[in-house]
Amino acid sequence: MIKLDALQCSFDKQTILQNISLEIENHLSILGANGSGKSTLAKAICGLIKYEGDVFIHDTNIQDLPLLEKAKTISYIPAKLDIYDSFITVKEFVLQGRFPHKRSLFEYSHKDKSICEQTLEFLNISHLQEHTVHSLSSGEQQLILIAQALTQQSKIIIFDEPTANLDPHNTKIIAQHIKGLQQYHQVILITHDLHLASYMQSPILFIKDSHASYYEKDFFNDSTLSELYGVVFKDLVASYD
Amino acid sequence: MIRVLIWSLLVFCFVYSAFIGAVSLNISDLLNPQSLSYQIFFDLRVPRVLFAFFAGTILALSGLLFQTLFRNPLMTPYTLGISSGAVLGAGIAIKLGLGTLFFGIASISLFGFFGAMLTVFLLVYLSQFLKSSQHASLLLLGIALSLFYTSALMIVFYLGDPMQNDMLIRFTMGSLSIIGWSNPILLGIISLALFISVYAYRFELQILSISEDQAKLKGIHAKKLTLILLTISSLGIGTLVSISGPIGFIGLIVPHIITKLYPTSVSSRIIKTALFGGFFLVFCDTITRSLSTQSELPIGIITALIGAPFFIYLIITKATR
Repeated sequence: MIKLDALQCSFDKQTILQNISLEIENHLSILGANGSGKSTLAKAICGLIKYEGDVFIHDTNIQDLPLLEKAKTISYIPAKLDIYDSFITVKEFVLQGRFPHKRSLFEYSHKDKSICEQTLEFLNISHLQEHTVHSLSSGEQQLILIAQALTQQSKIIIFDEPTANLDPHNTKIIAQHIKGLQQYHQVILITHDLHLASYMQSPILFIKDSHASYYEKDFFNDSTLSELYGVVFKDLVASYD
Repeated sequence: MIRVLIWSLLVFCFVYSAFIGAVSLNISDLLNPQSLSYQIFFDLRVPRVLFAFFAGTILALSGLLFQTLFRNPLMTPYTLGISSGAVLGAGIAIKLGLGTLFFGIASISLFGFFGAMLTVFLLVYLSQFLKSSQHASLLLLGIALSLFYTSALMIVFYLGDPMQNDMLIRFTMGSLSIIGWSNPILLGIISLALFISVYAYRFELQILSISEDQAKLKGIHAKKLTLILLTISSLGIGTLVSISGPIGFIGLIVPHIITKLYPTSVSSRIIKTALFGGFFLVFCDTITRSLSTQSELPIGIITALIGAPFFIYLIITKATR
Protein backbone atom coordinates (compact mmCIF):
# COMPACT_ATOMS: atom_id res chain seq x y z
CA MET A 1 0.00 0.00 0.00
CA ILE A 2 1.23 3.46 -0.90
CA LYS A 3 0.08 6.53 0.99
CA LEU A 4 0.72 10.07 -0.19
CA ASP A 5 0.37 12.77 2.42
CA ALA A 6 0.13 16.36 1.16
CA LEU A 7 2.62 15.65 -1.60
CA GLN A 8 3.91 18.75 -3.33
CA CYS A 9 6.49 19.09 -6.09
CA SER A 10 7.98 22.21 -7.61
CA PHE A 11 10.48 22.67 -10.37
CA ASP A 12 12.14 25.99 -11.14
CA LYS A 13 9.72 27.76 -8.78
CA GLN A 14 6.79 26.35 -10.72
CA THR A 15 4.40 24.09 -8.84
CA ILE A 16 3.93 20.80 -10.70
CA LEU A 17 1.92 18.91 -8.11
CA GLN A 18 -0.07 20.56 -5.38
CA ASN A 19 -1.15 19.01 -2.13
CA ILE A 20 -1.94 15.48 -3.24
CA SER A 21 -3.15 13.10 -0.55
CA LEU A 22 -4.11 9.63 -1.57
CA GLU A 23 -4.07 6.03 -0.45
CA ILE A 24 -3.25 3.58 -3.19
CA GLU A 25 -4.44 0.18 -2.03
CA ASN A 26 -3.86 -1.70 -5.22
CA HIS A 27 -3.36 -1.10 -8.91
CA LEU A 28 -3.68 2.39 -10.28
CA SER A 29 -3.50 4.02 -13.68
CA ILE A 30 -2.42 7.64 -13.81
CA LEU A 31 -3.65 9.74 -16.74
CA GLY A 32 -3.32 13.38 -17.63
CA ALA A 33 -2.19 15.83 -20.23
CA ASN A 34 1.45 16.30 -21.31
CA GLY A 35 3.39 18.09 -18.64
CA SER A 36 0.65 17.62 -16.07
CA GLY A 37 3.03 15.96 -13.64
CA LYS A 38 2.33 12.25 -14.06
CA SER A 39 5.98 11.27 -14.26
CA THR A 40 6.84 13.73 -11.53
CA LEU A 41 4.45 11.92 -9.23
CA ALA A 42 6.03 8.56 -10.07
CA LYS A 43 9.55 9.91 -9.60
CA ALA A 44 8.58 11.39 -6.25
CA ILE A 45 7.29 8.01 -5.10
CA CYS A 46 10.59 6.41 -6.16
CA GLY A 47 12.60 9.13 -4.44
CA LEU A 48 14.29 10.31 -7.63
CA ILE A 49 13.27 13.94 -7.14
CA LYS A 50 12.79 16.24 -4.20
CA TYR A 51 9.30 16.83 -2.84
CA GLU A 52 7.45 18.23 0.12
CA GLY A 53 5.03 16.17 2.14
CA ASP A 54 5.38 12.46 2.84
CA VAL A 55 5.24 9.21 0.96
CA PHE A 56 4.59 6.04 2.95
CA ILE A 57 4.90 2.50 1.72
CA HIS A 58 3.38 -0.07 4.06
CA ASP A 59 3.37 2.60 6.79
CA THR A 60 7.09 3.32 6.43
CA ASN A 61 8.15 6.75 5.26
CA ILE A 62 10.31 6.12 2.19
CA GLN A 63 12.74 8.80 3.36
CA ASP A 64 13.60 6.48 6.26
CA LEU A 65 13.99 3.45 4.06
CA PRO A 66 17.60 2.54 3.15
CA LEU A 67 18.18 2.77 -0.61
CA LEU A 68 18.69 -0.97 -1.02
CA GLU A 69 15.46 -1.74 0.85
CA LYS A 70 13.65 0.79 -1.30
CA ALA A 71 14.98 -0.91 -4.42
CA LYS A 72 13.60 -4.22 -3.15
CA THR A 73 10.19 -2.59 -2.65
CA ILE A 74 9.70 -0.46 -5.75
CA SER A 75 10.94 -0.67 -9.30
CA TYR A 76 10.44 2.05 -11.83
CA ILE A 77 10.39 1.44 -15.56
CA PRO A 78 11.18 4.58 -17.57
CA ALA A 79 9.50 5.33 -20.89
CA LYS A 80 12.72 5.14 -22.80
CA LEU A 81 16.00 3.46 -22.17
CA ASP A 82 18.62 6.17 -21.89
CA ILE A 83 21.99 4.53 -21.75
CA TYR A 84 25.60 5.75 -21.96
CA ASP A 85 27.48 2.47 -22.13
CA SER A 86 25.85 1.06 -25.24
CA PHE A 87 27.90 -2.15 -25.28
CA ILE A 88 26.19 -3.72 -22.32
CA THR A 89 24.44 -7.00 -23.22
CA VAL A 90 20.81 -7.84 -22.50
CA LYS A 91 21.92 -10.48 -20.03
CA GLU A 92 24.12 -8.04 -18.10
CA PHE A 93 21.42 -5.41 -18.16
CA VAL A 94 18.70 -7.69 -16.83
CA LEU A 95 21.10 -8.99 -14.19
CA GLN A 96 21.31 -5.46 -12.77
CA GLY A 97 17.82 -6.05 -11.40
CA ARG A 98 19.43 -8.47 -8.96
CA PHE A 99 21.83 -5.81 -7.63
CA PRO A 100 19.79 -4.97 -4.51
CA HIS A 101 19.79 -8.68 -3.61
CA LYS A 102 23.49 -9.20 -4.28
CA ARG A 103 26.10 -9.32 -1.50
CA SER A 104 28.12 -6.15 -2.00
CA LEU A 105 31.53 -6.57 -3.68
CA PHE A 106 30.65 -10.12 -4.76
CA GLU A 107 29.72 -11.59 -8.14
CA TYR A 108 26.11 -12.24 -9.00
CA SER A 109 25.21 -15.72 -7.68
CA HIS A 110 23.97 -18.71 -9.65
CA LYS A 111 20.54 -18.07 -8.20
CA ASP A 112 20.59 -14.50 -9.56
CA LYS A 113 21.60 -15.76 -12.97
CA SER A 114 18.94 -18.46 -13.12
CA ILE A 115 16.27 -15.97 -12.07
CA CYS A 116 17.32 -13.83 -15.02
CA GLU A 117 17.23 -16.73 -17.44
CA GLN A 118 13.76 -17.71 -16.26
CA THR A 119 12.53 -14.15 -16.61
CA LEU A 120 13.90 -13.85 -20.14
CA GLU A 121 12.23 -17.14 -21.01
CA PHE A 122 8.97 -16.00 -19.45
CA LEU A 123 8.98 -12.88 -21.63
CA ASN A 124 10.00 -14.90 -24.71
CA ILE A 125 13.22 -12.96 -25.25
CA SER A 126 15.84 -15.59 -24.40
CA HIS A 127 17.21 -15.30 -27.91
CA LEU A 128 18.25 -11.67 -27.23
CA GLN A 129 20.51 -12.57 -24.28
CA GLU A 130 23.83 -11.88 -25.95
CA HIS A 131 22.69 -8.90 -28.01
CA THR A 132 23.89 -5.46 -27.04
CA VAL A 133 21.20 -3.23 -25.61
CA HIS A 134 21.60 -0.50 -28.24
CA SER A 135 20.89 -2.96 -31.07
CA LEU A 136 17.36 -3.59 -29.81
CA SER A 137 14.11 -2.15 -31.16
CA SER A 138 11.88 0.02 -28.93
CA GLY A 139 9.56 -2.92 -28.28
CA GLU A 140 12.45 -5.17 -27.28
CA GLN A 141 13.91 -2.42 -25.09
CA GLN A 142 10.62 -2.14 -23.24
CA LEU A 143 10.63 -5.91 -22.73
CA ILE A 144 14.13 -5.97 -21.25
CA LEU A 145 13.20 -3.08 -18.96
CA ILE A 146 10.28 -5.17 -17.75
CA ALA A 147 12.58 -8.17 -17.40
CA GLN A 148 14.94 -6.14 -15.22
CA ALA A 149 12.09 -4.94 -13.03
CA LEU A 150 10.83 -8.50 -12.64
CA THR A 151 14.21 -9.87 -11.54
CA GLN A 152 14.27 -7.12 -8.93
CA GLN A 153 11.27 -8.91 -7.35
CA SER A 154 9.76 -5.80 -5.86
CA LYS A 155 6.13 -5.74 -4.86
CA ILE A 156 5.43 -2.42 -6.52
CA ILE A 157 6.19 -1.76 -10.18
CA ILE A 158 5.73 1.67 -11.73
CA PHE A 159 5.44 1.85 -15.52
CA ASP A 160 6.10 5.27 -17.03
CA GLU A 161 4.40 5.37 -20.44
CA PRO A 162 5.44 1.85 -21.44
CA THR A 163 3.74 2.00 -24.82
CA ALA A 164 4.65 5.56 -25.81
CA ASN A 165 7.07 4.52 -28.56
CA LEU A 166 5.45 1.27 -29.65
CA ASP A 167 3.45 0.13 -32.64
CA PRO A 168 0.02 -1.49 -32.03
CA HIS A 169 1.37 -5.03 -32.17
CA ASN A 170 4.09 -4.41 -29.58
CA THR A 171 1.63 -2.40 -27.53
CA LYS A 172 -0.55 -5.47 -27.34
CA ILE A 173 2.35 -7.67 -26.18
CA ILE A 174 3.36 -5.19 -23.49
CA ALA A 175 -0.25 -4.65 -22.44
CA GLN A 176 -0.78 -8.36 -21.93
CA HIS A 177 2.39 -8.65 -19.87
CA ILE A 178 1.47 -5.71 -17.67
CA LYS A 179 -1.98 -7.11 -17.10
CA GLY A 180 -0.46 -10.47 -16.24
CA LEU A 181 1.82 -8.84 -13.68
CA GLN A 182 -1.16 -7.43 -11.79
CA GLN A 183 -1.63 -10.87 -10.31
CA TYR A 184 1.62 -10.74 -8.28
CA HIS A 185 2.59 -7.08 -8.21
CA GLN A 186 1.02 -3.77 -7.39
CA VAL A 187 1.10 -2.11 -10.80
CA ILE A 188 1.06 1.65 -11.15
CA LEU A 189 0.72 2.63 -14.76
CA ILE A 190 1.34 6.08 -16.16
CA THR A 191 0.05 6.46 -19.67
CA HIS A 192 -1.53 8.58 -22.38
CA ASP A 193 -2.95 5.50 -23.99
CA LEU A 194 -6.66 5.38 -23.13
CA HIS A 195 -6.99 1.96 -24.72
CA LEU A 196 -4.28 0.59 -22.49
CA ALA A 197 -5.70 2.25 -19.38
CA SER A 198 -9.19 0.92 -19.98
CA TYR A 199 -7.78 -2.55 -20.66
CA MET A 200 -6.10 -2.57 -17.24
CA GLN A 201 -9.42 -1.94 -15.46
CA SER A 202 -7.60 -0.24 -12.58
CA PRO A 203 -8.91 2.83 -10.80
CA ILE A 204 -7.84 6.06 -12.50
CA LEU A 205 -6.01 9.07 -11.13
CA PHE A 206 -6.43 12.00 -13.48
CA ILE A 207 -3.96 14.87 -13.10
CA LYS A 208 -4.78 18.29 -14.46
CA ASP A 209 -3.45 21.74 -13.53
CA SER A 210 -1.35 20.25 -10.71
CA HIS A 211 -4.41 18.74 -9.01
CA ALA A 212 -5.44 15.11 -9.04
CA SER A 213 -8.89 13.57 -9.16
CA TYR A 214 -9.62 9.95 -8.43
CA TYR A 215 -12.05 7.74 -10.34
CA GLU A 216 -12.79 4.35 -8.84
CA LYS A 217 -14.80 3.57 -12.00
CA ASP A 218 -16.98 5.43 -14.52
CA PHE A 219 -13.96 7.09 -16.08
CA PHE A 220 -14.25 5.55 -19.51
CA ASN A 221 -17.55 6.95 -20.63
CA ASP A 222 -17.70 9.39 -23.47
CA SER A 223 -19.02 12.29 -21.45
CA THR A 224 -16.31 12.12 -18.73
CA LEU A 225 -13.57 11.78 -21.31
CA SER A 226 -14.91 14.62 -23.41
CA GLU A 227 -15.08 16.83 -20.35
CA LEU A 228 -11.53 16.04 -19.20
CA TYR A 229 -9.76 16.05 -22.53
CA GLY A 230 -11.93 18.47 -24.50
CA VAL A 231 -12.12 15.93 -27.28
CA VAL A 232 -15.29 14.23 -28.44
CA PHE A 233 -15.03 10.47 -27.96
CA LYS A 234 -17.30 7.86 -29.39
CA ASP A 235 -17.22 4.35 -27.92
CA LEU A 236 -13.62 3.94 -26.89
CA VAL A 237 -12.78 0.38 -27.76
CA ALA A 238 -9.75 -1.63 -26.80
CA SER A 239 -9.12 -5.25 -27.46
CA TYR A 240 -5.72 -6.56 -26.41
CA ASP A 241 -7.03 -10.00 -25.39
CA MET B 1 43.71 -11.55 -34.76
CA ILE B 2 44.37 -7.82 -34.58
CA ARG B 3 43.94 -8.01 -30.82
CA VAL B 4 46.62 -10.71 -30.51
CA LEU B 5 48.92 -8.71 -32.75
CA ILE B 6 48.54 -5.50 -30.75
CA TRP B 7 48.97 -7.19 -27.39
CA SER B 8 52.04 -9.16 -28.48
CA LEU B 9 53.65 -6.03 -29.88
CA LEU B 10 53.07 -4.19 -26.60
CA VAL B 11 54.30 -7.05 -24.41
CA PHE B 12 57.36 -7.52 -26.60
CA CYS B 13 58.07 -3.82 -26.32
CA PHE B 14 57.64 -3.98 -22.54
CA VAL B 15 60.26 -6.73 -22.24
CA TYR B 16 62.59 -5.16 -24.77
CA SER B 17 62.24 -1.61 -23.47
CA ALA B 18 64.83 -1.81 -20.71
CA PHE B 19 67.52 -2.74 -23.23
CA ILE B 20 66.99 0.42 -25.26
CA GLY B 21 68.49 3.82 -24.56
CA ALA B 22 71.22 6.34 -25.19
CA VAL B 23 73.85 3.99 -23.79
CA SER B 24 73.91 0.54 -25.35
CA LEU B 25 74.33 -2.17 -22.77
CA ASN B 26 76.76 -4.98 -22.67
CA ILE B 27 74.45 -7.99 -22.17
CA SER B 28 77.10 -10.23 -20.68
CA ASP B 29 77.81 -7.63 -17.98
CA LEU B 30 74.22 -7.61 -16.71
CA LEU B 31 74.93 -10.27 -14.12
CA ASN B 32 77.96 -8.45 -12.79
CA PRO B 33 76.89 -5.95 -10.11
CA GLN B 34 80.12 -3.99 -10.45
CA SER B 35 79.67 -3.17 -14.13
CA LEU B 36 78.26 0.05 -15.53
CA SER B 37 75.76 -1.89 -17.65
CA TYR B 38 74.37 -3.52 -14.52
CA GLN B 39 73.93 -0.19 -12.79
CA ILE B 40 72.28 1.47 -15.76
CA PHE B 41 69.99 -1.50 -16.27
CA PHE B 42 68.83 -2.00 -12.68
CA ASP B 43 68.99 1.56 -11.32
CA LEU B 44 67.72 3.47 -14.36
CA ARG B 45 66.13 1.34 -17.05
CA VAL B 46 64.09 -1.24 -15.14
CA PRO B 47 62.71 1.27 -12.60
CA ARG B 48 61.84 3.57 -15.47
CA VAL B 49 59.96 0.88 -17.38
CA LEU B 50 58.01 -0.07 -14.26
CA PHE B 51 57.36 3.57 -13.44
CA ALA B 52 56.00 4.12 -16.97
CA PHE B 53 53.84 1.01 -16.67
CA PHE B 54 52.26 2.08 -13.37
CA ALA B 55 51.84 5.64 -14.62
CA GLY B 56 50.03 4.36 -17.71
CA THR B 57 47.82 2.17 -15.54
CA ILE B 58 46.83 5.09 -13.31
CA LEU B 59 46.15 7.38 -16.28
CA ALA B 60 44.12 4.83 -18.24
CA LEU B 61 42.07 3.66 -15.25
CA SER B 62 41.36 7.23 -14.20
CA GLY B 63 40.25 8.00 -17.74
CA LEU B 64 37.88 5.03 -17.80
CA LEU B 65 36.60 5.96 -14.36
CA PHE B 66 35.94 9.61 -15.22
CA GLN B 67 34.25 8.69 -18.49
CA THR B 68 31.98 6.18 -16.79
CA LEU B 69 31.11 8.28 -13.75
CA PHE B 70 30.29 11.35 -15.85
CA ARG B 71 28.95 9.37 -18.82
CA ASN B 72 30.99 11.44 -21.27
CA PRO B 73 33.77 10.07 -23.50
CA LEU B 74 35.82 13.27 -23.27
CA MET B 75 36.27 13.30 -19.50
CA THR B 76 39.74 12.62 -18.19
CA PRO B 77 41.80 14.09 -15.36
CA TYR B 78 43.76 15.92 -18.06
CA THR B 79 40.80 17.48 -19.89
CA LEU B 80 39.18 18.44 -16.58
CA GLY B 81 42.19 20.50 -15.57
CA ILE B 82 43.31 18.28 -12.69
CA SER B 83 46.76 17.80 -14.21
CA SER B 84 47.08 21.55 -14.76
CA GLY B 85 46.24 22.07 -11.10
CA ALA B 86 49.09 19.78 -10.16
CA VAL B 87 51.47 21.59 -12.51
CA LEU B 88 50.61 24.97 -11.02
CA GLY B 89 51.14 23.59 -7.51
CA ALA B 90 54.52 22.21 -8.51
CA GLY B 91 55.38 25.48 -10.27
CA ILE B 92 54.71 27.46 -7.12
CA ALA B 93 56.90 25.07 -5.14
CA ILE B 94 59.75 25.54 -7.62
CA LYS B 95 59.37 29.31 -7.55
CA LEU B 96 59.41 29.42 -3.77
CA GLY B 97 62.51 27.22 -3.88
CA LEU B 98 61.31 25.11 -1.00
CA GLY B 99 63.32 21.99 -1.83
CA THR B 100 62.72 19.06 0.46
CA LEU B 101 60.22 19.72 3.22
CA PHE B 102 59.76 16.92 5.72
CA PHE B 103 60.02 13.13 5.74
CA GLY B 104 62.08 13.47 2.55
CA ILE B 105 59.02 14.46 0.55
CA ALA B 106 59.93 16.95 -2.13
CA SER B 107 57.90 20.15 -1.91
CA ILE B 108 57.23 19.85 -5.64
CA SER B 109 55.41 16.57 -5.08
CA LEU B 110 53.45 17.86 -2.13
CA PHE B 111 52.35 21.07 -3.86
CA GLY B 112 51.53 19.20 -7.06
CA PHE B 113 49.44 16.75 -5.12
CA PHE B 114 47.49 19.52 -3.38
CA GLY B 115 46.98 21.27 -6.69
CA ALA B 116 45.31 18.17 -8.08
CA MET B 117 43.16 17.54 -5.01
CA LEU B 118 42.08 21.16 -4.80
CA THR B 119 40.95 21.03 -8.44
CA VAL B 120 38.90 17.89 -7.84
CA PHE B 121 37.12 19.39 -4.85
CA LEU B 122 36.54 22.60 -6.76
CA LEU B 123 35.02 20.62 -9.65
CA VAL B 124 32.83 18.53 -7.35
CA TYR B 125 31.71 21.68 -5.53
CA LEU B 126 30.95 23.55 -8.75
CA SER B 127 29.18 20.56 -10.32
CA GLN B 128 26.47 20.88 -7.66
CA PHE B 129 25.25 23.96 -9.47
CA LEU B 130 24.87 22.06 -12.72
CA LYS B 131 21.81 20.00 -13.50
CA SER B 132 22.56 16.31 -13.43
CA SER B 133 22.20 16.02 -17.19
CA GLN B 134 24.72 18.78 -17.90
CA HIS B 135 27.96 16.88 -17.61
CA ALA B 136 29.21 18.59 -20.74
CA SER B 137 29.26 21.84 -18.74
CA LEU B 138 31.61 20.17 -16.29
CA LEU B 139 34.05 19.74 -19.14
CA LEU B 140 33.79 23.46 -19.84
CA LEU B 141 34.44 24.17 -16.17
CA GLY B 142 37.54 21.99 -16.41
CA ILE B 143 38.75 23.86 -19.46
CA ALA B 144 38.11 27.20 -17.74
CA LEU B 145 40.14 26.04 -14.74
CA SER B 146 42.94 24.89 -17.06
CA LEU B 147 43.10 28.30 -18.70
CA PHE B 148 43.14 29.99 -15.33
CA TYR B 149 45.96 27.74 -14.09
CA THR B 150 47.96 28.36 -17.24
CA SER B 151 47.74 32.12 -16.75
CA ALA B 152 48.71 31.75 -13.12
CA LEU B 153 51.66 29.64 -14.22
CA MET B 154 52.68 32.43 -16.61
CA ILE B 155 52.86 34.79 -13.64
CA VAL B 156 55.10 32.29 -11.87
CA PHE B 157 57.30 32.19 -14.99
CA TYR B 158 57.38 35.97 -15.13
CA LEU B 159 58.55 36.23 -11.56
CA GLY B 160 60.99 33.33 -11.68
CA ASP B 161 64.73 33.50 -12.27
CA PRO B 162 66.17 31.69 -15.34
CA MET B 163 67.23 28.58 -13.48
CA GLN B 164 63.86 28.12 -11.84
CA ASN B 165 62.17 28.71 -15.16
CA ASP B 166 64.26 26.08 -16.86
CA MET B 167 63.30 23.59 -14.16
CA LEU B 168 59.68 24.61 -14.52
CA ILE B 169 59.62 24.28 -18.29
CA ARG B 170 61.12 20.83 -18.09
CA PHE B 171 58.56 19.85 -15.49
CA THR B 172 55.62 21.04 -17.59
CA MET B 173 56.83 18.91 -20.49
CA GLY B 174 56.22 15.73 -18.55
CA SER B 175 59.02 13.27 -18.24
CA LEU B 176 59.49 9.69 -17.14
CA SER B 177 63.19 10.16 -16.28
CA ILE B 178 63.55 8.87 -12.78
CA ILE B 179 66.41 7.43 -10.80
CA GLY B 180 66.14 4.54 -8.35
CA TRP B 181 63.33 2.49 -6.98
CA SER B 182 61.38 4.69 -4.56
CA ASN B 183 59.13 6.31 -7.19
CA PRO B 184 58.20 3.10 -9.05
CA ILE B 185 57.37 1.39 -5.76
CA LEU B 186 55.22 4.31 -4.56
CA LEU B 187 53.41 4.46 -7.87
CA GLY B 188 53.00 0.67 -7.95
CA ILE B 189 51.23 0.72 -4.59
CA ILE B 190 48.97 3.58 -5.66
CA SER B 191 48.07 2.02 -9.01
CA LEU B 192 47.28 -1.28 -7.32
CA ALA B 193 45.04 0.51 -4.81
CA LEU B 194 43.27 2.34 -7.62
CA PHE B 195 42.81 -0.86 -9.59
CA ILE B 196 41.42 -2.76 -6.61
CA SER B 197 38.91 -0.05 -5.78
CA VAL B 198 37.72 0.31 -9.37
CA TYR B 199 37.46 -3.45 -9.80
CA ALA B 200 35.65 -3.93 -6.50
CA TYR B 201 32.98 -1.50 -7.62
CA ARG B 202 32.71 -2.88 -11.17
CA PHE B 203 29.02 -3.75 -10.89
CA GLU B 204 28.17 -0.38 -9.36
CA LEU B 205 30.10 1.26 -12.21
CA GLN B 206 28.23 -0.81 -14.75
CA ILE B 207 24.93 0.46 -13.33
CA LEU B 208 26.23 4.05 -13.06
CA SER B 209 27.26 3.85 -16.71
CA ILE B 210 23.55 3.67 -17.57
CA SER B 211 22.37 6.65 -15.60
CA GLU B 212 22.43 8.16 -12.14
CA ASP B 213 18.70 7.49 -11.78
CA GLN B 214 19.25 3.86 -12.63
CA ALA B 215 21.86 3.67 -9.88
CA LYS B 216 19.52 5.22 -7.31
CA LEU B 217 16.72 2.86 -8.30
CA LYS B 218 19.02 -0.10 -7.71
CA GLY B 219 19.96 1.16 -4.26
CA ILE B 220 23.34 2.75 -4.93
CA HIS B 221 24.42 5.97 -3.19
CA ALA B 222 25.52 7.44 -6.49
CA LYS B 223 26.96 10.74 -5.18
CA LYS B 224 28.87 9.11 -2.35
CA LEU B 225 30.38 6.43 -4.56
CA THR B 226 31.33 8.99 -7.21
CA LEU B 227 33.12 11.10 -4.62
CA ILE B 228 35.01 8.13 -3.16
CA LEU B 229 36.23 6.90 -6.54
CA LEU B 230 37.14 10.42 -7.70
CA THR B 231 39.16 11.02 -4.56
CA ILE B 232 41.14 7.79 -4.92
CA SER B 233 41.83 8.47 -8.56
CA SER B 234 42.88 12.07 -7.90
CA LEU B 235 45.23 10.80 -5.25
CA GLY B 236 46.87 8.71 -7.94
CA ILE B 237 46.91 11.48 -10.52
CA GLY B 238 48.19 14.05 -8.00
CA THR B 239 51.05 11.82 -6.96
CA LEU B 240 51.91 10.87 -10.52
CA VAL B 241 51.87 14.40 -11.91
CA SER B 242 53.91 15.73 -9.03
CA ILE B 243 56.68 13.26 -9.91
CA SER B 244 56.56 13.16 -13.69
CA GLY B 245 54.78 16.35 -14.73
CA PRO B 246 51.68 16.19 -16.89
CA ILE B 247 51.37 13.28 -19.32
CA GLY B 248 48.29 14.04 -21.35
CA PHE B 249 45.72 12.10 -23.29
CA ILE B 250 46.66 8.55 -22.22
CA GLY B 251 43.47 8.53 -20.13
CA LEU B 252 41.55 9.57 -23.22
CA ILE B 253 43.11 7.30 -25.84
CA VAL B 254 43.48 4.00 -24.02
CA PRO B 255 39.85 3.49 -22.87
CA HIS B 256 38.75 4.25 -26.43
CA ILE B 257 41.16 1.79 -28.03
CA ILE B 258 39.94 -0.88 -25.61
CA THR B 259 36.30 -0.06 -26.43
CA LYS B 260 37.09 -0.43 -30.12
CA LEU B 261 38.92 -3.73 -29.57
CA TYR B 262 36.43 -5.08 -27.05
CA PRO B 263 32.93 -3.63 -27.45
CA THR B 264 31.71 -4.95 -24.08
CA SER B 265 30.28 -3.42 -20.94
CA VAL B 266 32.53 -1.33 -18.69
CA SER B 267 32.84 -3.98 -15.98
CA SER B 268 34.62 -6.36 -18.32
CA ARG B 269 36.94 -3.65 -19.66
CA ILE B 270 38.61 -2.66 -16.38
CA ILE B 271 41.46 -5.20 -16.34
CA LYS B 272 42.15 -4.76 -20.05
CA THR B 273 42.22 -0.97 -19.77
CA ALA B 274 44.63 -1.08 -16.83
CA LEU B 275 47.06 -3.46 -18.57
CA PHE B 276 46.83 -1.74 -21.92
CA GLY B 277 47.42 1.68 -20.33
CA GLY B 278 50.60 0.41 -18.69
CA PHE B 279 51.95 -1.29 -21.81
CA PHE B 280 50.96 1.63 -24.03
CA LEU B 281 52.89 4.23 -22.03
CA VAL B 282 55.93 1.95 -21.93
CA PHE B 283 55.56 1.66 -25.72
CA CYS B 284 55.46 5.46 -26.15
CA ASP B 285 58.40 5.83 -23.79
CA THR B 286 60.41 3.26 -25.74
CA ILE B 287 59.83 5.22 -28.92
CA THR B 288 61.03 8.49 -27.40
CA ARG B 289 64.14 6.78 -26.06
CA SER B 290 64.98 5.08 -29.32
CA LEU B 291 64.78 8.30 -31.35
CA SER B 292 68.29 9.50 -31.94
CA THR B 293 67.88 13.10 -30.83
CA GLN B 294 70.46 15.13 -29.01
CA SER B 295 68.71 14.73 -25.70
CA GLU B 296 65.70 12.64 -24.89
CA LEU B 297 62.26 13.93 -25.94
CA PRO B 298 59.91 14.39 -22.97
CA ILE B 299 57.09 11.86 -23.04
CA GLY B 300 54.39 14.46 -22.32
CA ILE B 301 55.12 16.15 -25.63
CA ILE B 302 54.79 12.87 -27.56
CA THR B 303 51.49 11.85 -25.93
CA ALA B 304 50.06 15.34 -26.47
CA LEU B 305 51.13 15.29 -30.12
CA ILE B 306 49.28 12.01 -30.66
CA GLY B 307 46.47 12.82 -28.25
CA ALA B 308 45.30 16.25 -29.33
CA PRO B 309 44.29 15.20 -32.89
CA PHE B 310 42.62 12.16 -31.35
CA PHE B 311 40.68 14.45 -29.02
CA ILE B 312 39.44 16.45 -32.01
CA TYR B 313 38.50 13.22 -33.79
CA LEU B 314 36.44 12.15 -30.77
CA ILE B 315 34.62 15.47 -30.57
CA ILE B 316 33.72 15.28 -34.26
CA THR B 317 32.52 11.67 -34.16
CA LYS B 318 30.55 12.39 -31.01
CA ALA B 319 28.88 15.35 -32.67
CA THR B 320 27.89 13.41 -35.79
CA ARG B 321 26.63 10.35 -33.92
